[in-house]
Amino acid sequence: MQPIVLGIETSCDETAIGIVRGRTLLANVIASSVDEHARFGGVVPEIASRAHLEAMLPAIERAVAESQISLRDIDAVAVTAGPGLVGALLVGVASASGLAQGLGRPLYGVNHLAAHISVDYLTHDQPTRPTIALLVSGGHSSLLQVNDITGSITKLGATMDDAAGEAFDKIARILQLGFPGGPAIDRDAQSGSASAIDFPRGLTTTNDWATRPYDFSFSGLKTAVARYLESAPKYVRADVAASFQEAVVDVLLLKSLAACKATGIDSLVIAGGVAANSRLRAVATERCAKAGIELRIPKPDLCTDNGAMVAALGSLMLSAGKPATRGAFDADSSLPVEQVSL
Amino acid sequence: MSISLAIDTSTSRTIVGIIEGGQVTFEEFHDGATDHGRALSELVAKALKTCPPVTHVVVGMGPGPFTGLRAGISFAHTFALARDIPVVGVCSLDAIAIQESSYTVAVDARRKEIYWARYENGTRVDGPHVSKPDQVDGFIFGVYPDMKKLVALADTQSVTEPMYLRRPDAVPTAERR
Repeated sequence: MQPIVLGIETSCDETAIGIVRGRTLLANVIASSVDEHARFGGVVPEIASRAHLEAMLPAIERAVAESQISLRDIDAVAVTAGPGLVGALLVGVASASGLAQGLGRPLYGVNHLAAHISVDYLTHDQPTRPTIALLVSGGHSSLLQVNDITGSITKLGATMDDAAGEAFDKIARILQLGFPGGPAIDRDAQSGSASAIDFPRGLTTTNDWATRPYDFSFSGLKTAVARYLESAPKYVRADVAASFQEAVVDVLLLKSLAACKATGIDSLVIAGGVAANSRLRAVATERCAKAGIELRIPKPDLCTDNGAMVAALGSLMLSAGKPATRGAFDADSSLPVEQVSL
Repeated sequence: MSISLAIDTSTSRTIVGIIEGGQVTFEEFHDGATDHGRALSELVAKALKTCPPVTHVVVGMGPGPFTGLRAGISFAHTFALARDIPVVGVCSLDAIAIQESSYTVAVDARRKEIYWARYENGTRVDGPHVSKPDQVDGFIFGVYPDMKKLVALADTQSVTEPMYLRRPDAVPTAERR
């Protein structure tokens, strides 16, 4: 029988519990406090932390019920130890510690970013060869080389200012499309023209390609959109949304494919909340097919923060014979992506 | 006989106790305002090494600085769920043992404020509140919850919500500038 792992994720505004048996997803319960943050235009850490504590027990109980198992059937507990909002992470880590000690089971403190990538192995086979991973969300935008998801990840580049998802949120706010911005812009862009406005692609000059080929910058794009709106008061909102989205998608994929080419790796995983964006998925499919690169993108509901990804990484570590986290540990709000587990 | 695991993280001190039939068989603490998560896990592991199976969990629900407070409550909740045993929340200030019949106790609330409550004949008559220290008369400070008293309170109290006493700091977009 494959081991059962329960995963807890609380790094931002989602209180999420996932349960897997080996690589089979049994439950993926997500309680989000996003509605409580909407009127603040972003996630308020203290509101998120309070919501995690309130949602935790009901979420665990629901996940266990949906899995048709009993808590005692769980072989290991995994929890996001970082990176993320420290107060929010701490609710997850303390809850996981209480659960693991109560059950007398091992506890894996794992990296949120590595977990985003590992969720792909619930739907696709685990690659036996290295892969390039583009991790794009509201808090992170990184290009990684993954040799072994349970232990060997190298950072090739990251955003130097805003995360890709953050750029979506900010532009959505300017366009009065509400929060969170990603789904709102994706929807609005459907009826717009992606080539209507030629917005800048950050860090793509010849010099940038020579000095920081895998880093991103979205703050210039944000300014360019704001300037455009001032200069063209009668703008077509859908065109702005579609053209902005195109600029983000284009630069993300330019750099991802360049990384594949430079490293000779013919496999790309795209993960994180922005991987749910329909245009990113479509353009990635097209360009990877052309370049002969195998593309993997998790199902949209597994791209945004969830507990299944944490359970998946815990399960992969367990089956790879990796040891559980030794002793007590703290949440680490700035846990580097290279550190897959504590 | 009831065997209670007592937890309080409402102050800068993480305190764990085991109370067997009214007798304290384990009580240890760790001082550190940002250490609650780690310290709690270590202290509970130590406490459980020597004690028979726990039948109850009692946890201090504050008032206290939020982040540390939530660590104790989160741990207590899931530990009790895992063991399928009851968990009861009590007011942490009530668990501070003072050898007087009438008194006021206070703990640090950060931001130059205190959480406090006033007691007469052992009963809370005012509070808990959060105030500037100069607005509260003659309070006893630098005191911590007692695990035996914390467990005893579970007979008469059941606090289900954390005692934050403050709203989150945040200004809606519409009300800015």
